[in-house]
Amino acid sequence: MARIKTLLAEPLVLASIAILILLAGGELLSPGFARGDQVTRLLTVSAILGIVAAGQSLVVIGGREGIDLSVGVLISLGAFTAGNVMDGVNGAILPAVLAAGGVTFAIGIVNGLGVTLLRIPPLVMTLGMMGVVQGGLVVLSRGAPSGNAAPMLMGFVNQPLLLGFPGILFVWALIAFVMWFLLRRTSFGYAVYAMGSNERAAALTGMPTSLLRTILYGLSGLFAGLTGVCVIGYTGNSFISVGDQYVLPSIIAVVIGGVSLAGGSGNYFGVVLGAIALTLLQSVLTTLQLEFWGRQIIFGAVLLGLMLLYGRQKQLRI
Amino acid sequence: MTGMSTFLRGHRWLVTLLALLVLVVVNAVLQPNLFTGTVLKSNLTVFLPLVLVAIGQTYVVLAGDIDLSVGAIIALVNVVTVTVIAAIGNGVGAVLLGLLAGVLTGMACGLFNGFLVAVMRFQPIVTTFATGIIFSGLALRVLPTAGLPVPTPYWRTYAGSLLGLPVTLWILAATLLLVALLSWRPFLTHLAAVGGSRTGAFQTGLPVARIRIQGYVLAGLFSAFASLCLTGETASGDPLMGRMLALSSISAVVLGGTALAGGSGSALGSVLGALVLGMIGNVIFFAGLPFEYQTLVQGLITLAALAGGVLMAGRQRW
Amino acid sequence: MPPALKAQGITKRFDAVVALSDGALTVERGEIHALLGANGCGKSTLCKIIAGTVLRDGGSVEVDGAPLEPKRPADAEAAGIALFYQELSLVPQLTVAENIFLGHEPRTRAGFIDRRTLEDDAGRLLGPFKVVAGSGLDLHMPVAHLAPDQRQIVEILKVLARRPRLIIFDEATAALDRRQVEFFFRMLRELKAQSIAMIFISHRLDEVFEICDRITVMRNGATVATYPAAETDVNRVVHAMVGAMTEHLHPPQVERPANEQPRLVVDRARGRRLRDVSLTLRPGEILGLGGLQGQGQSALLRGLFGADSLDSGRVNLDGASLRLRKPADAVHHGIAYVSGDRGRDAALHGRSIFENIAAASFIRERRFLVWPSRLAERFRQAAAALNTKYVGLEAPIGSLSGGNQQKIFIARWLATRPAVLLLDDPTKGIDLAAKADFFDLVQHLAAEGTSILFYSSEDAELLGLCNRILVFNGGTIAAELSGSTMTALHLTRAAYGDAA
Repeated sequence: MARIKTLLAEPLVLASIAILILLAGGELLSPGFARGDQVTRLLTVSAILGIVAAGQSLVVIGGREGIDLSVGVLISLGAFTAGNVMDGVNGAILPAVLAAGGVTFAIGIVNGLGVTLLRIPPLVMTLGMMGVVQGGLVVLSRGAPSGNAAPMLMGFVNQPLLLGFPGILFVWALIAFVMWFLLRRTSFGYAVYAMGSNERAAALTGMPTSLLRTILYGLSGLFAGLTGVCVIGYTGNSFISVGDQYVLPSIIAVVIGGVSLAGGSGNYFGVVLGAIALTLLQSVLTTLQLEFWGRQIIFGAVLLGLMLLYGRQKQLRI
Repeated sequence: MTGMSTFLRGHRWLVTLLALLVLVVVNAVLQPNLFTGTVLKSNLTVFLPLVLVAIGQTYVVLAGDIDLSVGAIIALVNVVTVTVIAAIGNGVGAVLLGLLAGVLTGMACGLFNGFLVAVMRFQPIVTTFATGIIFSGLALRVLPTAGLPVPTPYWRTYAGSLLGLPVTLWILAATLLLVALLSWRPFLTHLAAVGGSRTGAFQTGLPVARIRIQGYVLAGLFSAFASLCLTGETASGDPLMGRMLALSSISAVVLGGTALAGGSGSALGSVLGALVLGMIGNVIFFAGLPFEYQTLVQGLITLAALAGGVLMAGRQRW
Repeated sequence: MPPALKAQGITKRFDAVVALSDGALTVERGEIHALLGANGCGKSTLCKIIAGTVLRDGGSVEVDGAPLEPKRPADAEAAGIALFYQELSLVPQLTVAENIFLGHEPRTRAGFIDRRTLEDDAGRLLGPFKVVAGSGLDLHMPVAHLAPDQRQIVEILKVLARRPRLIIFDEATAALDRRQVEFFFRMLRELKAQSIAMIFISHRLDEVFEICDRITVMRNGATVATYPAAETDVNRVVHAMVGAMTEHLHPPQVERPANEQPRLVVDRARGRRLRDVSLTLRPGEILGLGGLQGQGQSALLRGLFGADSLDSGRVNLDGASLRLRKPADAVHHGIAYVSGDRGRDAALHGRSIFENIAAASFIRERRFLVWPSRLAERFRQAAAALNTKYVGLEAPIGSLSGGNQQKIFIARWLATRPAVLLLDDPTKGIDLAAKADFFDLVQHLAAEGTSILFYSSEDAELLGLCNRILVFNGGTIAAELSGSTMTALHLTRAAYGDAA
């Protein structure tokens, strides 16, 4: 009994169980829900969420109330930049990806500098940045949708490439590998966990915590930019608020995946499962024909429930 | 020189007052009829909601917490009020009951936040982010789309005059009186003590959890006031009302010289901060900046103000 | 008449560490009662239990004959108990007057703060101190702007404003100068005349004998004796505090060439808590830093590690001048720092033992790629050097006892093969077996040539392990003990200043 309890407390196990239950539930509600092509479609949607959640998870693992609320507008900015750079031309895909990633990485670095140098709480800094980028997008786009995905990019995201899976799933797998390598095979990753767990202790081993934290926010921006490229590949074109819908799910996916909001724990495989579980949940809720408000309340409640599991603060008395 | 900076640190709101005066002068140059009754009145009507939320936010921030759900509380209070009024039958009695229902809703939201943060010891930032999502969901449940006009007496009273002075001015005066009454109570000192040194306050025997909850309830109450004013202005229900007010209120609080770390600051400073933000909007508008640049400039100034405010408050840990 | 306070058989554990095994204290009305003991004897814990900030595990407390079960500070306060906090309970942002009456503000009938009364009362309390308090101690001044002695005065006034019937003064005079102390004592005598009971903790024995009626001595978490002050003397009290401590267990001295170049030279280091500290550390030497807590020992070690900045002074390592702006500078030069405050300064909570050991090696070796399997053997050896008991390198750090955790944090630095080891009260709160392993290791390292600066709050450790001891007082080195002067008596005397 006690072993089952500890097993259930393991986020990876919990997320896997959630995925199975949601799949079974979806199949019961609407037969065909768990069919092969449906699952592939769900995985494609999960991949988009999973890529932005990669950056979000880095920032959260790094600790000190790390959170990036600007990922939504950075996705929009990434999609906008990529869409305008390639403008429907296959040959311009690579420059488009580089441009989108470069711009959002730079903005992420600014977030990081605000958090480390100016010591602005991450939430306030990234929320403020959200307003700025939103304004910037209005200026750049003049309020109208612009930019087009190259056909090859759309095919890469939507059409089967190998073994019946679209290319984006392979990119996601590659990102998962890179995240694992970064976190588990470089001192950078070890330092991220160390400072998320105890920044003071990390600094007392000589780790350059401010520099590392700045880079984390840069990477979060970069991943959001790449997500933007995927989004424009998925939908074909972009509008300036296309990324807004990803802010909250990126945080919830991270938390479902077992990354503590207090920092210093969790890994990207959990986040991958979290992204899949959350996409499934959304899909099931849609199948249930639950309205937007119901989904909002369930999201909020899930987040609060996860806080109960992972996010409590210390008591004052001894 | 050090004397000067020490003085400014103690009276940070003086800097804000100076900025406000400069903005008023600039505004007056750009808009020669600024000092006519109608223009002043319409400005007051526009600024009043932010002034009210910023006051509420101050009490939470003073205690070292933060409330990101104030925008959602505003929406929820609005839809509850208009729905109650419509349900009871649009009479004067219905309006009064609607106002009461709105105020109680706001306080209940604050109580919920305070309970989660102070008793359950959830991290304030993510908690109020999550409750904000829940409150918005509830608002959409109560009133799915904008509409449902309030009866004429409501908005006519709000837009009208009493004893030759606009009602909005009376509301502002009453609010300032309330703020003054609160600041004369020991409660405000206790709030600052809890924010300044939580252990110190605990060792002194102050009921730390109760004080923090009271801060959140006040934030809910003032958000309700703001919502009722917005309702008087728009004269109808809107489940998306007040979306940007959470960030604006935090900006106003920081601009008004209250430290985000808690412990020092004043609601009066936040009033000035809110007025500065409003005047920035005015100046941008009358400077003839192209429409699409306005969001960007507003976002940049807000971010700069946040950075400046945090820097002025000293590089404390938060 | 029942005594004002009667505490018996008080016990308290913090995790594995026993802070109090048998705390007892009886104070009569109108008595000033001294509570003495060496660092870590449990006197502060006993006081916090009486004041309700720490919950006791066992034992009984009676106040004026009525049992007291405080669940929170407010309960003890309701029973008329006030504690002067050694770690100040003031709120830096609030003014002096606000702090003095925090939670007890005089109110008008409408429930508002009665500012007039508040300021009058605060002014009346402050008045007698005004002459000795120096400039700037103003009722409207935020406490953050005050000097340490002024804050201490405010803390005293805050206690008095509560009109308590039993006051615990825990090192209330630590930051005060002689004139301020005299004023304070005059006040205590007035309180005594009002039959208020007081517990007085101070490291200044002359003050204890000047003001106290009786003296209770604690050692190792238990009360050992109570004497009437008039019938005892400093020597007897010091002996009771020190106990049957083993006198100077000389460590095996390793012969080093006499003309050897010093490893570390510190020349007139100044910092926030340091005044002109100079020292020389030879290769293979264990140099002890003694004295009462907070006299600059930690500040020096942290300064040498680049964790706190030194304002001025020079630091030479093997003849070359060092610039220490951040810990990485020290780490790259082979300086290691082990803090006794494990939870705050060392533990990577929730991470594996491997990661907890690896942290410093990455910096020292400027390593980017990490192959855990290749590092594991080295880390195992480092942990084995300390007899660390653990299941495997992948187990979380929290699965270990405090003592074994501390061994891991030492292994963290052993893996970097440091030239200088800075030990900042490293054995705080670890069990005896772990301490023994730790001492073996320190001696072994010294024998291999590692230079060690060792601060301990336990005198016995310094006497048993060090080649020399520098005794700190008020941020500067007050005495150097070596050879025949390395005894508990000398060390206690030097730590307590000239008085003892």
